[in-house]
Amino acid sequence: MHKGIGENGKTLKQMLEESERLYRETGCYAGITEPHLLKQDPIRSELFHSRIMASLIAGRETTRMVSGSPFVREVAELCLGLYTPEGDNVAQSTGIQVHIRLMGDNIQWMINKNYEEEMGINDGDFFIANDPVIAGMHAADVYDMLPIFWEGELVGWVSTVIMEMDIGAVTPGMMPTANVERGTDGLKFCCERIGSNDKLNRDFEHKIELSLDMADIFLLDRKGAMAANIRVREEIKRIIREFGIDYYKRATRELIEEERRNQIARIRQRMVPGRYRNVVTAEFPMANQPVAWIPAKRDTIRLIPIQMDILPSGHLVIDFEGTGEWGWHAFNGTPKAVWGGVSVATVQTLSYDGRGNLGSLLPIDVVGLAPDSLLNPTQIRKLATSTPWAPLLDIFGMWTHMLGIAYYLRGFREETFNYRSSGGWMVAGYDQMGVKRPLMAAGTGNFGPGACGVCDGVDCGGWLATPEVDMGNIEVWEMFVPQMEMTRRLEPYSVGYGRFRAGLAVPQISMAHRSQQLVGCGVVGTASDFIIPNLGQFGGYPGGRRNTLLLRHENLTELIGKRQPLLHNIGDPRDLAERFPGQVTDCGLLPVPAEIFEGDLLISCSASGGGLGDPIERDPAWIKADMDNGLTTEWQASNIYCVKASYDEVSKEWTVDETETAQLRQSRRKQRLSRAVPVKDWWRENRDRIVSRDMHPLMLEMYRSSMKMSGAFTQSYRDFWALPDDFAL
Amino acid sequence: MSISYNKEDLKDMFDGRLPWNKVKEIMSNPKDDDRFDKYVDILQERVGFTERILLPLGEHLYIVQKGDERVVKCDCGHEFGDWRRNWKLSALIFVRNTVDKLEEVYPGLRCPNPDLCEVREYYCPGCASLLMVEAVPVGCPIIFDVLPDIDAFYLDWLKRPLPDQKEFRDMTCETTREWGRELKSK
Repeated sequence: MHKGIGENGKTLKQMLEESERLYRETGCYAGITEPHLLKQDPIRSELFHSRIMASLIAGRETTRMVSGSPFVREVAELCLGLYTPEGDNVAQSTGIQVHIRLMGDNIQWMINKNYEEEMGINDGDFFIANDPVIAGMHAADVYDMLPIFWEGELVGWVSTVIMEMDIGAVTPGMMPTANVERGTDGLKFCCERIGSNDKLNRDFEHKIELSLDMADIFLLDRKGAMAANIRVREEIKRIIREFGIDYYKRATRELIEEERRNQIARIRQRMVPGRYRNVVTAEFPMANQPVAWIPAKRDTIRLIPIQMDILPSGHLVIDFEGTGEWGWHAFNGTPKAVWGGVSVATVQTLSYDGRGNLGSLLPIDVVGLAPDSLLNPTQIRKLATSTPWAPLLDIFGMWTHMLGIAYYLRGFREETFNYRSSGGWMVAGYDQMGVKRPLMAAGTGNFGPGACGVCDGVDCGGWLATPEVDMGNIEVWEMFVPQMEMTRRLEPYSVGYGRFRAGLAVPQISMAHRSQQLVGCGVVGTASDFIIPNLGQFGGYPGGRRNTLLLRHENLTELIGKRQPLLHNIGDPRDLAERFPGQVTDCGLLPVPAEIFEGDLLISCSASGGGLGDPIERDPAWIKADMDNGLTTEWQASNIYCVKASYDEVSKEWTVDETETAQLRQSRRKQRLSRAVPVKDWWRENRDRIVSRDMHPLMLEMYRSSMKMSGAFTQSYRDFWALPDDFAL
Repeated sequence: MSISYNKEDLKDMFDGRLPWNKVKEIMSNPKDDDRFDKYVDILQERVGFTERILLPLGEHLYIVQKGDERVVKCDCGHEFGDWRRNWKLSALIFVRNTVDKLEEVYPGLRCPNPDLCEVREYYCPGCASLLMVEAVPVGCPIIFDVLPDIDAFYLDWLKRPLPDQKEFRDMTCETTREWGRELKSK
């Protein structure tokens, strides 16, 4: 009989099965019904946890020193986690914490596939994975996993995730949008051994050099991840020497159980039990995308109803019942990817004290992922999975909104907020040095989060996918990509209005420069285009539509020759097209790949999350301050906030006329009462439209798709609109 | 030792007037166990009615104990009925479903497509406050954002059960079905 590499000669599979059985039987992680070790000596246990955290964060910084990728060096798109032998997360570094459970899922996949007996798992082995069919968000996120051995026994794993700039996908090379089939995603690794004895295999290096345009960057990232993993492994060995192996084994598991209990306590302390509901819509404009699988060439919209039940026990259930069908595009989710969204939303809303681990997720359940729905396509192996982020960031932005409502009800208004994501341009082609390669510039700090319950949202200060948003240095991006950045200005019209406004976003305006040939494509972290996300909070408005635009000057050379100003901010969104007649193209959510020429301006214009509270209750003094800082325009002050203000050319300040402002606000209330109707009247009118199916064909198809997937959704739709039991759209 | 804040600081924070360094401290500290009671006290002092606030439901809305009933009430005094029935059904609504109406808020490039998206504004019939904005696909049922389980909250979490227990269920569709029957009878 095979002697396992786990505890007391057990195989990892035996250990995993036992751990899962104990959890099922006791409801406590690893069957730890009475955690005691950490409590026995709190100072020692704090030191223990701090040492682990320090090693993970130091490992992350090590990678940044080795890597050549601006994704790693500039905006830190990476993260490290420490795992039990069974693949359960014990601790995580700062960074893109989306992947913490997903990396553990990959370890468990290796365990369940019997790697231990069939392939062997040895001290110094490196395994690599990036296949969302196993567990992951998209192929660009690459996991490097290293086992940790102590005296011949596997006592844990350390894993690093790095987002790659080139994964060998079809143009533009990573996160493509004009792709449908699996082979177009680029290189996929299914937990492959790429190194032994702490060294990368030469055959792996050859493969990468032959496969990727940016092989150097990819291999340096692997070496950075290896350096980080080895550093953590060696520190864990020092910790074991210092604390003892028995303490290490028990304490790492108690950290998970302790966090599980703390998470339930947090939910019970900070929220209100009950049912929370909302909807997300996901737009997939594929009709004009140049894909060879012709059935994919159709536009669809999918409805994703979200119900969050906060149970009296302190557990939390997220239900996606009624989600519409999967489609031939690269934006379908998977149940594992849904957990990625739960992971990163959780560390930003509940478990932000540095103790987040698998225990943060154990009190949460995800249900309603019907087979063949958008979030659970059974044909996933045939599909491209380059961008499940598109609906998932919208879904979990909405989930933060729903959690925010729960916080608000309980009185913790300072924790109320929400997230919005965006999309824009990505280019591929020849760089300034004449090398053809993917050319994505991805400063992530240009997003505007929703308003907080006690203050405005942080300008360009929040994004769901990573707690540490950072735009990076503009000069570094300019060295990396053949384009010049034209702006770093906050965009007033990006905002979501309210008594507290959302944070403003920063548009990206990039001029193509010094490339012999370029193609522009879409990159999406949202599936919202013409339907804006429902993120308004208690009377606040969500931010408006986001835009991906192309400005092709007719007279660029003349403008530059005459030293005339180019476009450095969007300005009034009503007249951009008039300012540049015939030169601005609205490229929608998914720009169809097209050639880009010298001087073209690629504009990616984000919009913010939701404001909070009635905008006409916003303090005029705050509006004046925003106007003085160029964050609110006179049009917005007058039309949205009902504030009358005038500008003094001498003092360069705005002054609010309080009397006129009070009158404007009173008039607005009267206007509201005169324009509005009782909901019952509106309901009758709209019911007639629904009965006669008087809706855009995309809307009809969207509801039909959800009804096809869910009888409960169908019934709830009929109930709300009082439709016959046999009614179908 | 559990943390607690004085009511004046909490009032200032809710009004957006507490200095940022204090707000940040409150955000970063462990949460204060007595927050809910102080929160309700502050809100109760501010509203113009005497019914006991059981739970805040928004910037202007509260679930209050009114006799044997629990109703949604605006701080202006207007009532929206049982908390288990979506209060929006008793509100006034203005729908932005044309470019002209949408551009009053979302001008030019920022404007959603009214064939696909409508922005619904719910006002209090009593004071015309904007209580909620919905940006949803055309044809979407009204969102019932939150149906709190008040009895579980008071009984299991606060350990102070309310005198009369109510069944936890969504009553919204009882109203819309009734509206449907009225249509048929006409």
